[in-house]
Amino acid sequence: MDILINALEQMFTPATAAFAIAAIGLNFHFGLTGLLNMGQAGFMLLGMYGYAISIREGLPMWLALLVAMGAAILFGLLLGWPTLKLRGDYLAIVTIAASEIVRYVGRSNTLVDVTGGSLGIKGKDYKGPLEELSPFPDERLSVGPFTYHGSASDSWWLRVVAWSLVALLLLVFWRLSNSPWGRVLKGIREDEDAVRSLGKNVYWYKMQALIIGGVIGALGGVIWAHGSAVVADAMGRPTTFWVWTILLLGGAATVLGPVVGSVVFWAALSLVRAVAKEFIPESILPSTAIEPFGLMLVGIALILIVVFRPQGILGNKKELAFHA
Amino acid sequence: MPDTTVLDGIAHEPGVAKPDPILVADGVVRRFGGLTAVDVKHFEVQRNTITALIGPNGAGKSTFFNLLTSFDTAQEGSGTFDGDPLRKVSPHKVARSGMVRTFQLTKALEGMSVMDNMRLGAQHQPGESLLTAFVPPLWSKREREVTEQAHDLLHRFKLYAKRDDSAGSLSGGQRKLLEMARALMSKPKMVMLDEPMAGVNPALTESLLEHIVELKHEGMTVLFVEHDMHMVRRISDWVAVMAQGQLIAEGPAGTVMQNKAVQDAYLGEHHDTDLSEGN
Amino acid sequence: MFTRPDRRFYRAAALLLVAAAAFVIATLVIGGGPADAETVEPVAAGTSTATLVIQNVINGLAFGVLLALAAVGLSLIFGTTGLSNFAHGEQVTFGALLTFFLSTNEQVTIPLVPGSFTIGLPLWLAAIIAVIVSGGTGWLQDKLLWNPLRKRRVAVLQQMVVSIGLSLALLNMLQWWMGASRHRLTNASGGRITFGDFYIGTQTLMSVVIASIALLAVALFLLKTRLGRATRAISDNPALAAASGIRVDSIIRLVWVMSAALAGLGGILLALFDNGAGFDSGARILLLMFAAVTLGGLGQAFGALVGALVVGVVSEVSTVVIAPDMRYASALGILIIVLLVRPQGILGTKERVG
Repeated sequence: MDILINALEQMFTPATAAFAIAAIGLNFHFGLTGLLNMGQAGFMLLGMYGYAISIREGLPMWLALLVAMGAAILFGLLLGWPTLKLRGDYLAIVTIAASEIVRYVGRSNTLVDVTGGSLGIKGKDYKGPLEELSPFPDERLSVGPFTYHGSASDSWWLRVVAWSLVALLLLVFWRLSNSPWGRVLKGIREDEDAVRSLGKNVYWYKMQALIIGGVIGALGGVIWAHGSAVVADAMGRPTTFWVWTILLLGGAATVLGPVVGSVVFWAALSLVRAVAKEFIPESILPSTAIEPFGLMLVGIALILIVVFRPQGILGNKKELAFHA
Repeated sequence: MPDTTVLDGIAHEPGVAKPDPILVADGVVRRFGGLTAVDVKHFEVQRNTITALIGPNGAGKSTFFNLLTSFDTAQEGSGTFDGDPLRKVSPHKVARSGMVRTFQLTKALEGMSVMDNMRLGAQHQPGESLLTAFVPPLWSKREREVTEQAHDLLHRFKLYAKRDDSAGSLSGGQRKLLEMARALMSKPKMVMLDEPMAGVNPALTESLLEHIVELKHEGMTVLFVEHDMHMVRRISDWVAVMAQGQLIAEGPAGTVMQNKAVQDAYLGEHHDTDLSEGN
Repeated sequence: MFTRPDRRFYRAAALLLVAAAAFVIATLVIGGGPADAETVEPVAAGTSTATLVIQNVINGLAFGVLLALAAVGLSLIFGTTGLSNFAHGEQVTFGALLTFFLSTNEQVTIPLVPGSFTIGLPLWLAAIIAVIVSGGTGWLQDKLLWNPLRKRRVAVLQQMVVSIGLSLALLNMLQWWMGASRHRLTNASGGRITFGDFYIGTQTLMSVVIASIALLAVALFLLKTRLGRATRAISDNPALAAASGIRVDSIIRLVWVMSAALAGLGGILLALFDNGAGFDSGARILLLMFAAVTLGGLGQAFGALVGALVVGVVSEVSTVVIAPDMRYASALGILIIVLLVRPQGILGTKERVG
């Protein structure tokens, strides 16, 4: 019973929302446009740094959010400029390389005064402004089996904010993907030369998609930072791969896919860990092996989804984002 | 009716000047590594005519076609379309200026509906810009116009019943029709067709031919690449022949087929092609 | 795609030399000195920047040769199948960890099998077995996964995401198997050979020699043997190769075996160079391998060598001016800059790009 309640809890954590948001961003890249952004974690990390450092340096929250988004816009321009004219896998390699550069630089001791090095930036340096806006009391509150603090860190307030942002971004995705603008992106996903022959500036559309998805990724990073902390190594390549798993699991190019994917992903991961811990004896699966065991299953799940159900849970086989 | 006698007095020689050219190419050279794929000294297409571009396999027709539409970049040369220079213009700008192309391997956007394919062909849709896309009132009026135009074209190309199907479910010939109809959504001045008959079953070729002739009647200029001599004979006002990257002959279909250089070029490649009888 | 090292090769080598010289001069002019320079074996205090740079170039070339060995398989697979294989890093790790598993005198375990034991083979024998088993994993992978996917005509980009899943699965499997700590293949510290102000470790030198021989063997295979020529033919044009009677599937199977075996060998030698290997050793250098392969021109086997040398030298020499914990960042930075200027890679020809 505890296992199930725990899994249910995992479905609605700020982390789940943060990953859903990052996956909505990736849905603009891959689902709509077919862009292989393998550096979503880099966008998230830049968002986290932009936001946390701005607040630590005394900027108001709205300005810090703008800084976070601005950092993602610059990053997108920088990455898109050389690669969006080349074949798809160049974008993949450059985005993954660039997001690793962000991480290496962030965790480096050289910039320890700015980024906090490998220890990162502590929550108290940047969580204040949002938590002060909380209408909830400053104490632990229970609703049914769930107990969280009202306002601080991993709180009810953060859950409300995070899931409201998810809802808002879903609306944005729905509106844009069903507009003539989204139609052009879908055309590019199918065959960019055809769209070019119809007089659309394909390069610029791809750039817009890369930037808007990256900005949304940065917002996901901000939510993640509020739920835990700003640590460079939390945003490595595995994070990007999880976001991909989430999007493909839920269904690329669908509106709700990223959210369904994230909820199922985190609940399943929590279930696997708990079941493994509960039912497999220590001599066969030592407790230190549970984490890699769970993540190994994530990898296997990603393979199975891509091979056997590339449209994911919600997708339509006819509208696949994968093209040769 | 368009006046097709306008080409009557023109000399039947490669690179000849036309009275009212819509498309002009000059000294176009495209090399791949050491190989010169295209080396065309001068070429003009007369406005409101149907011009065929023929030649044996590997003659550089498709490369030349890609150069004219800016899908490929020449090392040397210049060109104008309707008076505007073509050099170093990106392909989408060429399309916007009124010269729309189709592809040899049909590029129907298979994951999208036939209707969305058509709508994508339209120009001046404000909803295609990111900011206005958020506010439907700014673009829904244009969307209705575009949809209406698409309905008309789909009726004309006998695809109306398929409008909500995904383009991937169409037959090869229907995709060719869709691609042509989609190109017309932008109301082009000139339509460039890259092997419009390739892979189309005989039942549909007749209607495709009629559609091409219809384009001329509506005032458009057509340049098409084709293998099938029979088709070329039936619809073209003027034929340009390429071999080994160069323009070797021009003239009306009948004259060009009798040309010694043309026969040599074809016989060098295909001993079995009977030019005099067509295909 | 694999052309003989012709004029372009020399042009690329010249470019590399000029770039390296420019870098050295720039560092000397800036003269920041070894601010945080803290290489694996710190150079005695008081050495000049020039000495330090040259020592780093030596280290970089050594690292570059080993990286090339690990990366050449990535390039071969891309060339013949078009797949950017993200699981290649785990293949590198596997070679090193299997060697450790077979040769160590410590207690080792196998996942899901209770109890622990010691195998304790001599290092050379363990390494040979590890390379053979690595090759076997390549064979198995192609048989069970990649060949069926190609048969089903799964898009290359879809296969790429499959390789990402595989990488994630293997990485965690390796961690499950060997834990999170680093393992040393040998406790012998090995001496170093000094020449003037400079030195190179004997272990490193041995590794570089073995790697060079292996690279030479690959080159001879590609250029001189019938199978090698068939491999290059597939890279150039798979359809044409198949039409001319080459058994594409068997060649690709062979390429997978070779790539995995070479990656395994590369992993073992890198572990000797690096004084140990952990479950994520290969994952850490995956991007450097991609950088090497991309710099050389995607799918160009000889390009991978040139690219790897550039990456090796840049990452080591950059420690003279930036902190050592950012040295991989500088190599990746070079990758992005090269893509800006010359997207087809150093050795690639222009027509090849999209």
